[in-house]
Amino acid sequence: MSWIVVLDNEAVQAVQNPAHPKHRQMVSLAQVVASRKRRAVSVEVAVPTAVRVEAGWDRTSPAWVFPNRLRITDVPLDTARASTAAAIRHRIGVSVADAHLGAVIQSTSAGQQITVVTSDPGDIRLVAGDRDMTVVAI
Amino acid sequence: MWYSLVVETPAVIERISELLDRDGLQTSNTSMRIPTALRDAAALAVGELGVAASTTALTTAALRATLEAVVMQAVLDAHYEHHPKARPDLGDLAVAAAELDGHPLAAEPERLRRAAAEIVEKHPDASPDDVLLWAEARALSAA
Repeated sequence: MSWIVVLDNEAVQAVQNPAHPKHRQMVSLAQVVASRKRRAVSVEVAVPTAVRVEAGWDRTSPAWVFPNRLRITDVPLDTARASTAAAIRHRIGVSVADAHLGAVIQSTSAGQQITVVTSDPGDIRLVAGDRDMTVVAI
Repeated sequence: MWYSLVVETPAVIERISELLDRDGLQTSNTSMRIPTALRDAAALAVGELGVAASTTALTTAALRATLEAVVMQAVLDAHYEHHPKARPDLGDLAVAAAELDGHPLAAEPERLRRAAAEIVEKHPDASPDDVLLWAEARALSAA
């Protein structure tokens, strides 16, 4: 079974900034992911591209070199996810970034394990619909 | 030699990372000698348990995961060198493992930190999963 760990805006900020109060927590999570990969666990850390925009994560900027190197993949706002995100935003009124995050959660396959790292577990549960997932609060 | 390692390792890690980012459409035939028993075990796991679409897919996924782990660990080690306060201790890692797994003890981080402090005295190389097991056993025996 594959496993995806999705980051929200605050989680991204915390990874990037060593002075952020949650930086050590995020590094701990990255360290555990690295250890699981070493045991050949199929785990991927991902960021919705709209979250990346909200966080100001420019992959060409030297300020983001540490998150860039942590093998955190982009999940694009493609046609299908844009429609899902639009429906989520219309229904709940969350930000575009959170709506994209909800679309990513809802687009995962049933057999895929999903963990979301977020500073706002309440909003994430709203945008996730009825998708079963693990929420890590930072 | 030491100088060469220090200078060249980040470039090698960067290059491995770039290669891992490329799509997998271009493939190459390769001849690898692997233990026969391992090959047979992989074939059984694919054929009878359906763990992957093929033994090639199984091997590729395992190799990718291992290489990604190497890259991530090198990046994290360099980060710890520059930011020592960011280096997690065993308690931090046990809490993180519990959080990622959705383990019930994630709600009791202090219990996990105590368990980490206990276990690391006798087993300095204990893993976060060892701590979780230990804390779970302690919680059961206390119930």
